Amino acid sequence: MDFELSDEQRAIALACEAILGQLAGVQRAMAMAERDAYDASLEKALAEAGFLEVALGDGTGALEAALVTEATARAAGVVAVGAGALVAPGVLGRALAGPVALVECAEDGGAVGPVRYGSEARSVLALRGDEAFVVEIEAGRASPVRSSFGYPFGAFASPLQGTSLGAGSGARLRAWWQVALAVETVGTMEAALSVTLDYVKQRRQFGRAIGSFQAVQHRLAECAVWLEGARWLAYEAAALGATAEGAATAAAHAAMAAKRVFAETHQLTGAIGYTREHDLHVFSMRLQALRLELGGVGAHRREAARARWGVGG
Amino acid sequence: MEFSWSQEDRDFRAELRRFLDEVLPGDWQERAKDGPGSQAQAAFSREFCAALAGRQWLTPHWPSAYGGRDASPWQHAVLGEELWAVGEPRGPQYMNVNWIGPAIMTYGSEDQKREHLPRISAGDVLWCQGFSEPEAGSDLVALRTLARRDGDDYVVNGTKIWTSYVNHADFCFLLVRTDPESSRHRGISVLLVPIDLAGITVREIPSVVGERYFHEVFFDDVRVPVACRLGPEHEGWGVVSYALQFERVGAPRYARAALTLDHLARVAAKGGQLDDPVTLEKLGEARALCEAARLLSYKVIDGRAHARPPSTDTNVARVAGTRAEQAVADLAVELLGPEALSHGSFGDAQFRMAMTAGVAVGATEIQLNLIAGRMLELPRE
Repeated sequence: MDFELSDEQRAIALACEAILGQLAGVQRAMAMAERDAYDASLEKALAEAGFLEVALGDGTGALEAALVTEATARAAGVVAVGAGALVAPGVLGRALAGPVALVECAEDGGAVGPVRYGSEARSVLALRGDEAFVVEIEAGRASPVRSSFGYPFGAFASPLQGTSLGAGSGARLRAWWQVALAVETVGTMEAALSVTLDYVKQRRQFGRAIGSFQAVQHRLAECAVWLEGARWLAYEAAALGATAEGAATAAAHAAMAAKRVFAETHQLTGAIGYTREHDLHVFSMRLQALRLELGGVGAHRREAARARWGVGG
Repeated sequence: MEFSWSQEDRDFRAELRRFLDEVLPGDWQERAKDGPGSQAQAAFSREFCAALAGRQWLTPHWPSAYGGRDASPWQHAVLGEELWAVGEPRGPQYMNVNWIGPAIMTYGSEDQKREHLPRISAGDVLWCQGFSEPEAGSDLVALRTLARRDGDDYVVNGTKIWTSYVNHADFCFLLVRTDPESSRHRGISVLLVPIDLAGITVREIPSVVGERYFHEVFFDDVRVPVACRLGPEHEGWGVVSYALQFERVGAPRYARAALTLDHLARVAAKGGQLDDPVTLEKLGEARALCEAARLLSYKVIDGRAHARPPSTDTNVARVAGTRAEQAVADLAVELLGPEALSHGSFGDAQFRMAMTAGVAVGATEIQLNLIAGRMLELPRE
């Protein structure tokens, strides 16, 4: 057991953050959102520096990919980093041509709802029943869907067909997808809380910083406990290779935390927190998208229970 | 970062489980249901601790000079998990090892270390905690128990309350005010008090939590030798703060909650309740909270293993642990329903023990204050 980053992990995180500091961030995310765009140049920069394939490196693996994913989420990167850096390598043992989108499909192969990063995707990992499929996507296949929830979405009009990864492969996709959700949620929550903490420290009402009121302090402290629990569960799930139980538990906790963090960060930033000029919405609205994905908190909780206590169905 | 146990730790856990299988009596769960302070558990605990100590398992992470094996704090964590999971057969001795011993190791004179540490390591002594008073609970520095210097003694007068385990204790880790002109943090001292001194009276405070859980302890002109003082005179708050960091994440209560939850799931499975998706969700939710509590407690142990000074990690772990315990206890009553109504039943015992989670070892509100101030750096009024 060791909770400290190794020197190599620290170096990876710093180098990744340096790129993100230059090329990502809130202003960039807002500019991308105005055009419903995907940040292809950020993805290229991350790919060229090796961060999108760090899960497959010599001496690096899913944990390092999780650190990259988390940092990108914290920097509001408009790139499918969870799917590309964590899920594809985890499920396939190799990278896919990015952007990678993850799609939950009905029996007939039709996508269930709008897909995060769907309109830009070149590759799709699709979950249909207990089977996973790799699908190559031609440009323009999915039509853009406007969403309030902080990411570009796309709708696939026709069923997705691709190469099956075999019977039972769906479980592996589901688990890695849950891990990626947990990690992206952690990075996003941390940023939302950071924005809120800065705000309550400087916003003065009733003759004092609103962050000096005990009620405000307690609510933010509770959020910090939620965040830290989600963080370590996500790291552990990645490090232990996305077991069914570990992944579902991490995703459940992250979704539970996200609900709380969304509510508290907006309540504590008041009206200014709703505005486009303020940073919070860039992160908070994403939390809603993340906590709904792949069945949401209910599905993750049920799966965690089933995985642990061995119940079928 | 590494989330797997070392081979050494895994071997230790396996050996410990074999030992527990051999040593715990068949009716142990029955004896354990009223908690570590109860009569039923007390007698067995002394023997059990001696047996553990015989294997140097009571304080494996202590320096060998003090009866330990210089093992890593992880071994002690494994020990705690396995023992709390089966209802803590060490009884109240877990307290000695968790924070009283460490406090004496850090602040004690050579005489005090020689007197107390071997006995704690050998499982041969019981301590209780003389902290709270009727007018000083969460606001501990408001304490008023006075210790007036008189020659080579302090003369102690005052009342301590909520004290657990005093009925079996040999010593009390007592907080007193040695400077009568002082207030709050300044002027506090720690005394290591033999509980059989003249002038000490103990009275149980009946509660719904469990047998002999709470007591009042009255000190009437109790003469305590100055040599019993731990650390510098009037500077005891530093000793207390240090000790509290260890107390907050000492007993791995999350391990008990997790095992209880496993038991509940088995009961629910037998009763066909796992076909209900709502029940599955509640179980999954409680499991997520237990797992978060586990990892956040591990983070504290990790800090100790890396010899980092205590941090707000302890407060975060404490809050997470409380939430997990409460969720499991609520679920126990909900799932077991009418069975939980009988005193001494499994559901009843879990519920009563978890009732104190948000108050014992420092109220949740205090933990949140500390997280807000020291971790989030939110401003004071």
